[in-house]
Amino acid sequence: MSAVIDDAATTDVVVPSVDVAPESQPVGWRHRHLLDVDGLTAIDLDLVMRTADAMREVLARPIAKVPALRGRNVTILFYEASTRTRVSFEVAAKNLSADVVNIAAATSSVTKGESLIDTIRTVEALGAQMLVIRHSVSGAPYLAAEVFSGSVLNGGDGWHAHPTQALLDLYTMRSRLDGGSVAGRKIVILGDVLHSRVARSNIWSLTAAGADLWLCGPPTLLRGFEAWAGRGAAAGRRFHVTSSVEDALRDADVVMALRIQRERMASGLLPSLREYAARYGLTAARLALAKPAALVMHPGPMNEGVEIAAEVAAGPQSVITDQVTNGVAIRMALLYLLAGVASTGSGASPAANASPAA
Amino acid sequence: MTDLDIGRAWLVDPTVAREGPGEIVVRDGILEAVTWLEREEADGIDAGGVVVAPGFIDLHAHLREPGNEDAETVASGLAAAAHGGFTTVCAMPNTTPTLDEPGVLARIRTAAAASGSPVELLAHGAVSTGRDGETLAALGELADAGVVGFSDDGAPVRSASILRNALAYAGALGLPIVDHPEDPTLTDGAEANEGFVSTVLGLRGWPTAAEEAAVGRDLAILADVVRDVPGARLHLTHLSTAAALELVRRAKAAGLPVTCDVTPHHLALSDEWIAGARRFAWEAGEEGDPWRDDALVAAPYGSSLRVNPPLRTPADALACLAALADGTADAIATDHAPHTEVDKMVEFGEAANGISGIETALGLVLEAVDAGHLTLSRAIEALTAGPAAILGRRSRRNGSVGLVEGALADLVVFDRAERWMVSADRLASRGKNSPLIGLDLPGRVLVTIAGGQVAYEADLVTAR
Repeated sequence: MSAVIDDAATTDVVVPSVDVAPESQPVGWRHRHLLDVDGLTAIDLDLVMRTADAMREVLARPIAKVPALRGRNVTILFYEASTRTRVSFEVAAKNLSADVVNIAAATSSVTKGESLIDTIRTVEALGAQMLVIRHSVSGAPYLAAEVFSGSVLNGGDGWHAHPTQALLDLYTMRSRLDGGSVAGRKIVILGDVLHSRVARSNIWSLTAAGADLWLCGPPTLLRGFEAWAGRGAAAGRRFHVTSSVEDALRDADVVMALRIQRERMASGLLPSLREYAARYGLTAARLALAKPAALVMHPGPMNEGVEIAAEVAAGPQSVITDQVTNGVAIRMALLYLLAGVASTGSGASPAANASPAA
Repeated sequence: MTDLDIGRAWLVDPTVAREGPGEIVVRDGILEAVTWLEREEADGIDAGGVVVAPGFIDLHAHLREPGNEDAETVASGLAAAAHGGFTTVCAMPNTTPTLDEPGVLARIRTAAAASGSPVELLAHGAVSTGRDGETLAALGELADAGVVGFSDDGAPVRSASILRNALAYAGALGLPIVDHPEDPTLTDGAEANEGFVSTVLGLRGWPTAAEEAAVGRDLAILADVVRDVPGARLHLTHLSTAAALELVRRAKAAGLPVTCDVTPHHLALSDEWIAGARRFAWEAGEEGDPWRDDALVAAPYGSSLRVNPPLRTPADALACLAALADGTADAIATDHAPHTEVDKMVEFGEAANGISGIETALGLVLEAVDAGHLTLSRAIEALTAGPAAILGRRSRRNGSVGLVEGALADLVVFDRAERWMVSADRLASRGKNSPLIGLDLPGRVLVTIAGGQVAYEADLVTAR
């Protein structure tokens, strides 16, 4: 699980025919839930990427819809305000012909007076077979997975993980970088790393894929990552942590800016947004330090003029709208793959081999 | 009254620094005979089997009554203590209402008497009224009523000025201030020890500096107070970091009247457990990485692992063991903190802090002994003579916790060779919030005798 892999490795992945239901064919996917990316192997990543390729092809059709998940209930339970991720999951599920139930639980379970466990049991009793959950508390999807009998797909938990975002980021980089691989490429994640589940999931997937990963931001927003870098190095997961924007951006192949939030000022982590923009904002001048064809990414939503200049976000190097489109394809791929496991029950044991689903 | 014969066991008496094969006889609750066997008679008896030791003393337990009887009552807490081998328990005052005046103490004493448990119930009073950290509680009245010390535990004594006054005032009463060292401005919203594990898991960091800054503050104030009030005493509870223990080590070397305790969970477990590891701190090593080591065997974010202070790194746990070994830490205290399912079966970050630990304390300590990080005699000393010295004459045992012939029997018999599976059913505590549920621990308690009466006996004892 911790071995460094080559993301461009040719593996014997059988790309499913996504026009038909996942249970009707052998699919080499063994995970019942997708809670984090730390447990995904090279073969898993390759299968997700190639299945996403197939989903991109579906999205290019005049009618971007396949009947693969017809009759299956996908419930989207969001405990945090979100538009783009929620809609992306909804579009993905509908493109697969699933029945979609959307639940926006704006407050935490404690404030609401009903525990998360009770909510999960209720949702399941209402017919949920696959659950997409977003929650402001790190680890909440693991609690959900303990009680939910179907598949749980983490749509983002606290500061911890955002696996579909990391996978769509990897997919976007592979499709845009020459050679189709991130191995050896200098990739910079710039901004509020401390509070970012996107950064954490990308650390797992990008270091696994052999990228030269740099985390950059004010020292108050990098707290703890030096400890991770030091410990991870022994496991072959090497990344750099720096507060020098120049060191980070020089000759970079990809620059991903992260959203900065106003409450960071209230908690004394930053003097002001103005100062942040001046010192760490991704401006055209700073981007010029990177390679000429460097990709510009952002998980959204953006504060233009703060962490990223509007001209950079909309500039020729930006692949931000690609990320959005790829997000739908990646989420279709993951829903499809998880549905195959959930319907056969072959994913109950994490140690089980990727045996063909009968 | 109680009769008990234990032939051919391993006796441990920390008050005379003696351990070895022997036999004991209890008649009518009195420890009538303690026989140390000679080598030729002791064939086949070793320290790895049945052990007889003085009953354990817990300086720090939350019994939740009054106010949160769903989590624990005095009766269930004392039953849990007896199951864990403890015969004296000091209740913490963060009840509702707070134990900041003698009426609340009278109430829990009544509950203890009604329970019929022979386990000795002692209590700490609050330092400040309602534990608000601002105004001194009725320290003198509480002392007259028999509290054994003062603590705002659950939180530090917030105001340095109040702490200074409390140390002086309590010092004249001959009682210690028991502080929970934490700088709350560094731990607002904190969920897990700040470091590698918290960063990977995205949990809000709880820096070790929060504890160390508070210990530094407390020691500076103690040094100031003790110049005028030589009787002033500070006890720092549940120390969890290597640097905090080093501060105490130096303060003791400088002659300051400070004592401290560490908990079983901080000396045996580590923050790795939150990631899903289930190996002891000494198995992880100082450079352990549970992801690299393929040590993740359980689901992450188990809320039973949420505790204040948080589980620290394996290196900090080893520092707790080293502090016990060299005497920097005077005692092992459980910080038994039972909670209801409603408060615990929630998201990690929303779970109440605390581990129900009085019944698993011996097992965890014995794991450290088995692994060679603590001697059996030092472990027993830290559970008996160490805390007894801090309590002094406030305990009915009057500072004397040896296996003394003619004294009222106060002892525990356990079998190091017998492992028992921790389960919700087997915990006498109402708090089932133990991260050890489903695991098995060494040292099943066979019988606990408190004040000459059987407080706990395992099913098999009657058959013996």
